[in-house]
Amino acid sequence: MARWGLRGTALLYLGLMIVLPTVVVVARGFGSGLSAFRDALTTPGAREAIILTVFLAAVTAVINVVFGTELAYVLVRYRFPGRRLLSTIVDIPFAIPTLVTGVMLRALYGPISPVGAFLGRHGIQVIFAQPGILLALLFVTLPLVVRTVQPVLLELDETEEEAARVLGASRWLTFRRVVFPKLRPGIVAGGLLAFARALGEFGAVVIVSGNIIGKTLTAPVLITQLINGGKPEDAAAVATLLFGLSFVLVLVTERLLPTGRKEAS
Amino acid sequence: MPSRRPGARALGLVAAATVLASACASNGNRGTGGSPGSCTPEESPVITLAAYSNVYDVYGKLISNFQTEWKDSHGGQQIISQTSFGGSTTQAQNVVNGFPADIVALSLAPDVQMIEDAGLITHDWTQEAEAGIVASSVVVFDVRPGNPKHIENWDDLTQPGLEILTPDPAQSGGARWNIVAAYGAAMRGNVPGYAANDPAAAEKLLEGIFTNVTVMDKSANDSIKNFESGNGDVAITYEYAVLAAQEAGLPDEAVIPPSTVAVQTPVAVVDKYAQEHCVEDVANAFVKYLHSKEAKDLFSSVGYERSVNLKKAKAGDGGTYPAVKDLFTTDELGGWNQLQSDTVFGPEGAFTQAQAMVTG
Repeated sequence: MARWGLRGTALLYLGLMIVLPTVVVVARGFGSGLSAFRDALTTPGAREAIILTVFLAAVTAVINVVFGTELAYVLVRYRFPGRRLLSTIVDIPFAIPTLVTGVMLRALYGPISPVGAFLGRHGIQVIFAQPGILLALLFVTLPLVVRTVQPVLLELDETEEEAARVLGASRWLTFRRVVFPKLRPGIVAGGLLAFARALGEFGAVVIVSGNIIGKTLTAPVLITQLINGGKPEDAAAVATLLFGLSFVLVLVTERLLPTGRKEAS
Repeated sequence: MPSRRPGARALGLVAAATVLASACASNGNRGTGGSPGSCTPEESPVITLAAYSNVYDVYGKLISNFQTEWKDSHGGQQIISQTSFGGSTTQAQNVVNGFPADIVALSLAPDVQMIEDAGLITHDWTQEAEAGIVASSVVVFDVRPGNPKHIENWDDLTQPGLEILTPDPAQSGGARWNIVAAYGAAMRGNVPGYAANDPAAAEKLLEGIFTNVTVMDKSANDSIKNFESGNGDVAITYEYAVLAAQEAGLPDEAVIPPSTVAVQTPVAVVDKYAQEHCVEDVANAFVKYLHSKEAKDLFSSVGYERSVNLKKAKAGDGGTYPAVKDLFTTDELGGWNQLQSDTVFGPEGAFTQAQAMVTG
């Protein structure tokens, strides 16, 4: 009885909090049939926005998987002064409102800032262009990778690494052959989290992207504009497609690279 | 400190290269420099427009018509347009921070002023055709069918227990128009029970209204969406928003108060960027097009346009746009600068004081 109560509450909670709102959005996207769905996707910039968003989210995930894993490894395996401080710094993106992140990046790399002006003279535009969006996404998703990989690393038995080193393996070889295989589920999970978060990021992006239709307008910003423009059905359709695409991508990734979730279930 | 692993370094380089590659890619087809007069226009000039969000639909049509017109009169030359939409004040801040818009279409004059103050607009845009105003509307009350609460004038908004929706003036240009409308109506002696030319009376009216404001949304659009989903007795909003709702089959009814403000939305060429991109002539031609009969008809068709001419706006057209008894402009209240920094939104301004009373 008590077990059923526990299970029932958990399922009810999941249903109310996640499944129901998702179903509503998807139903709304298909609300007026497939033709409305097609209309929404012919909205100027809708297709480009979805492609851009998925592409940048994927790039974000790949870059942060590399540097996030490296950072987690350094935090766990090395002892050096300032390590605690470094660990706190990793969480900064969680603590800063994302809109503020956007404003900070604009202040640092914006065309009228010293850095932005310097880059501009060399033909590199960061803010109000795609690199600015990428920087914003990297910023907000870094802790997701670090904090997912870190606990897995902490669980690893360091003696295996020591054994490898004693047997003459280089640090890199040890990492690749001994540490990495065990880390992989954590890395994949962290990457997927970063990808999902990047897909939906609005606050940091809206400030730095300039929102040029067909060029730097991302799907979340487009969705907001559609809602504001009195087209909630179109917004739901774009959201549904984005949701569908990322769902497929997550499924494929989980198949190709086991995340360890199966063992847990 | 640990030594870096060579493999990690290689991956780092790959990542850095990706960033740089996308940086270069997105910097594609824009010319980067040139002083005025000395530049060579590109074969297909690119113009960038930064506009406030409400005009999304109509600008799409306006731009494509302009492109066709330009092509026909310039030997087939294709204009490429880049458009960006967002909150009016946000857009202005972006331009000031280096968003290279050749033309801005914003919801109120102070936002254009901000760009001018940053030295990016170097001509007096208020001296241009129709004082730089391309589209106008009026502030009205959006009420439930049959106007059950009998809301006819500004003082009706202070009746106890009424629920009012209006956006947050800290975030929305539209909200500031609404407040200025109430303030102006009181100052002009057109609200029963509130003495003319008495800032204290105007402040009292605003206090009475804002006591009844139940939801302050972040934008005019959010506010009206909220009203349409069943919240509140009245939304203070633009006339075009109510017309748009009616067009969509919703039962919204517009009540035009006897005294209200003409909402005037300006457009200006951002000289500095237009010169840099060598598109000054195209940008000027586009702004000129926005003042044409064809453009006005387009604005009208989406409910945006009362005439830019105040007299005509006041008279209405007898149909979609009824006459307004007393339609005033911000100039008649001393201009936006004075309203912003002193009489209404200044530290001792009527709204600032009223809000302090309500929340205090």
